[in-house]
Amino acid sequence: MSHAVCAPSTPGGHAGTRARPLLGTLVEIGARGASAQAVDAAIERAFAAVQTIHDLMSYHDPASDVSRLNRAGADCVAVHPHTWDVLALARDVAEASGGRFDVSIAPELVRHGYLPRHADLAQPAPEANWQHIELLPGDRVRLARPLHLDLGGIAKGYAVDCAIRALRDAGMEAGRVNAGGDLRLFGGAEPIHVRHPHAATHLLPLCQLEDGAVATSATYYSAREVDGREVSPLIDAATRKPCAGGRSVSVLAERCAHADALTKVVYADPAAALAALQRFGAHAVVLDADLDAPGHCRARASGPGGWRELALPGAEAVAG
Amino acid sequence: MQHPPVWLIAPALASFVAAPAFAVQYLDIEQVQKLFFPRADSFTPTPLLLTGEQKAFVEKAAGVRMRYARQPVWKASENGALAGWVVQDEVYGKHEFITYAVALDASGTVRGVEILDYRETHGREVRNPNWRAQFNGKKHGAPLRLDEDIQNISGATLSCKHISEGVRRILALHAAALK
Repeated sequence: MSHAVCAPSTPGGHAGTRARPLLGTLVEIGARGASAQAVDAAIERAFAAVQTIHDLMSYHDPASDVSRLNRAGADCVAVHPHTWDVLALARDVAEASGGRFDVSIAPELVRHGYLPRHADLAQPAPEANWQHIELLPGDRVRLARPLHLDLGGIAKGYAVDCAIRALRDAGMEAGRVNAGGDLRLFGGAEPIHVRHPHAATHLLPLCQLEDGAVATSATYYSAREVDGREVSPLIDAATRKPCAGGRSVSVLAERCAHADALTKVVYADPAAALAALQRFGAHAVVLDADLDAPGHCRARASGPGGWRELALPGAEAVAG
Repeated sequence: MQHPPVWLIAPALASFVAAPAFAVQYLDIEQVQKLFFPRADSFTPTPLLLTGEQKAFVEKAAGVRMRYARQPVWKASENGALAGWVVQDEVYGKHEFITYAVALDASGTVRGVEILDYRETHGREVRNPNWRAQFNGKKHGAPLRLDEDIQNISGATLSCKHISEGVRRILALHAAALK
């Protein structure tokens, strides 16, 4: 197959980019390698890796590991090593953030219409949270209290990491995977853009990303009205209520799973998120509407000394 | 972290740019045909023009509205035997317009879904048939992207619910007209 127009930009070798609907979004995978056949085969392997994560961690699919856990009650469940890994990563972020990231928020997402209601699930215990997920040796998991898991806040990033590993294992010189904004690349620096939190068609150059990941959480496509109130699928695990809309959070980290999960921590409370960012060697950029100047936007970046304001030179107002 | 990534956050921050129409072409229909059916030796165009009755069947079976009665379809053959079908389709939402292809094997099971091209813009233009028509017949490699520098957008998830609905509609279409 010949190259696609949006191939990784460094010259040399053969390059290709393809996209498929997976993980509830569009997953784009690009690679550069020695031959067109090798690139095609590598991209195919990377999509297969994403498909595996999609199948294991779908809340919708009754056969997924997540659904099996949600139905299992207090029984011990043998899961795929990937599922165990994601739950372990989720626990790390939950610990580092004082529970601001929590994969037990499925009931809240169901309540607000972001996940389907499964009639066959037992009622979750009201006080159950991530601390009641027991990760046992031999890729087994037990829910110490009835709770409903949703890995939507971390599985996309994890799938991106798996796809990147597949591209590397297939011998690619460069690769890029973008799952609906959760993005990781290797083999060359590329500019990354983010969207204006109030005008999704306006783009802001964020950084040159080289061998790393970036994930963004914002509500411009996902906010909806419930009983006349705007709700978002970003749940603040501290209050178990949806976060307000209008903010965009991008987290840069080495692993996309960390970046993905940390966006939720930062979105809920930037001030409290600094320790968690530091724990994973991650950086964040927060864009907020400027209340003093309608249509304008304030930018903050995390650093060792806390959050610092960033200047947006010449940022003209955009239509909200 | 062993290999700290090079973040150049502050110097790269500049002003917002309006991207009136971000667009990417991944594959053309011939490439998708070969990708889905690498051993097929012919792809015969067999466009469908549904009767009113078939259209009603599809809408009822899939639970989604059939916007057009005409659907581009190719029959894949291998040594004269039916290998499967490639159906081209398009969906549009509030911000995006996506052309994609679905491969069905000879029994009508989905073998794969690939995006041909993706474009996004302000919602109003997506709903304008003339705006969409400007992309028809684009050959692979044609410069669709308006700003060559913008290729990596870390944005919040755009749902692909419309594609899921489209695939459901294509399965019903197979039952109505390709069996």
